[in-house]
Amino acid sequence: MSALETSAAVCEAVVCDRRQPASDVVIIGLSAPNIARNARPGQFVMAITQGGERVATALGIYEAQGDRISLMLVVVGPRTRELALLEPGDRLALVGPLGNGFDLGALGEDVALVAGGVGLASLLLPAQQLIARGARVHLYYGARTAEALVDAELFASLGAGVSVATDDGSRGHRGYVTEMMEREWRGHSAIAACGPSPMLRATGAAARTLGVRAALSLEETFACGVGACWGCVVPLARSSAQAPKFPEAARGERREYVHARICKEGPVFWADELQW
Amino acid sequence: MVIKAAVPDVSVRIADLTLRAPTLMGSGCYGSGEEYAPFVDLAQIGAVVLKSVTRLPRLGNETPRLVPVAAGLLNAIGLQNPGIDSYLANDVGKFADRPCPVIGSVAGFSVDDYAYVTERLAARDEIAAIELNISCPNVGHEGETFACDPHLAEQATKAARAVTKKPLIVKLSPNVTDIAAIARVVEAAGADALAVINTVRGMSIDVDRQKPRLGNQSGGLSGAAIRPIAVLAVWEVARAVRIPIVGQGGIETARDALEFVLAGASAISIGTGNFTDPRAPIHVADGLREYLAKRGYSSLCDIVGRANPGFLGVS
Repeated sequence: MSALETSAAVCEAVVCDRRQPASDVVIIGLSAPNIARNARPGQFVMAITQGGERVATALGIYEAQGDRISLMLVVVGPRTRELALLEPGDRLALVGPLGNGFDLGALGEDVALVAGGVGLASLLLPAQQLIARGARVHLYYGARTAEALVDAELFASLGAGVSVATDDGSRGHRGYVTEMMEREWRGHSAIAACGPSPMLRATGAAARTLGVRAALSLEETFACGVGACWGCVVPLARSSAQAPKFPEAARGERREYVHARICKEGPVFWADELQW
Repeated sequence: MVIKAAVPDVSVRIADLTLRAPTLMGSGCYGSGEEYAPFVDLAQIGAVVLKSVTRLPRLGNETPRLVPVAAGLLNAIGLQNPGIDSYLANDVGKFADRPCPVIGSVAGFSVDDYAYVTERLAARDEIAAIELNISCPNVGHEGETFACDPHLAEQATKAARAVTKKPLIVKLSPNVTDIAAIARVVEAAGADALAVINTVRGMSIDVDRQKPRLGNQSGGLSGAAIRPIAVLAVWEVARAVRIPIVGQGGIETARDALEFVLAGASAISIGTGNFTDPRAPIHVADGLREYLAKRGYSSLCDIVGRANPGFLGVS
């Protein structure tokens, strides 16, 4: 999870396709050659929206092939509503690819992927690349309802095992995806997860119990997305290789952690180094 | 004969510092410039105002530190910074190769803090000017007290003025009854320019959890939501002082910037506007040149304060 040389840029992407696999989930395909060629698994883009709140919207890069990328979003507010209305031919300015992404080499040869809702978006590229290099992959995928479980078949078609959980029991395990993972645990070498904070915390706790490391891709509101504003921080152990260099205060603030930027040092952190 | 129209001059002078564009990048919003270098040609911006530095390291506020709201952004970062010792040792040297001037920002909790940090930071060649942040709303009452009390504003400004000859910009708070009165005192205390305004205090409450959304509970509001507040503040300050004003608060486009200039700002600063679109600084500068050219002005100076009959002028 080292910060590599950036290939990030601003680009005017053109929407080339759009599908709506669930009532509030939209997948937008875009022609964005620079991002498509340079995206590493687990990186994100900032999508520049026009109205409403004064920040761009961070979205995990779902697919990346040739000149095309896709972004998966769930409609939760004015910015995502604006993005969900985009049609083929529309333009969308994107900044990216941003963030560190997953260090796939550190995950071993039998990886558990844990997705909550549209957190799935950050796990397709890892699944593809892990499988391409011969690793086994099993996706543990949770959502509110059966309808909100999108694209599970796509992961299965790549050769990944898939187990699903829903809050209402309308498909698969009824309850938390992390519970299901612990119950079904297949002796994996490590975990890579993306989803809401409570799910990620539970994933970290499960990893501790199971004796493996978990790489968590954190979701947070970003303002700049490029490390400039220090708005999206998370407490990280000073001993972490990802921790920004930060002196101890002379008095008052002598703590064992530093605030790391989720958008810059992350969004992927080792669960056992987070102090949240 | 072909008469070639000259490109209007949008350069700005603050004391002995000349900026090739009137666009400063707001403190705390632009890192040290490096973070935005992949997206913006920094040679085309006026200056980067660095994130504020304090005497001691500060871990900053607990999260959440950001809440997007209608037409704006609430933040409460809490002056996270490594402290002046580490900053001078590890960070300032990297600013030498920036293609635009770099302005240091100093925050403090006592008059002595302002003097101490300003003296040490201003002594470095990499730093072209100092902005005195006497108006941070997110570090308890101490941070903003200096901008809200004319006597303390005067003391902090005098203390910084005494230790550097570099251009000194003092950033004022909108969270006061009479910003013009504070501006006059700060001008008399030796400031070379005024940054008007810092963020407006605000709060957002999560009605499901029945708690304030920000870790710090209250925060500073920025973005388009505060633009009319900021334009009025510039208007009032421009009637009270003769030093240059750097107008800021919700500027995203050239037309936004023009409101500030016409109210009396000699330069403008973009903060949150970079989050909406990192290309904003370039679009704003281009748009200003276009506006001036279309109306036959040769320089941005020609329209500073033009909408403000009480504008005292910049001397």
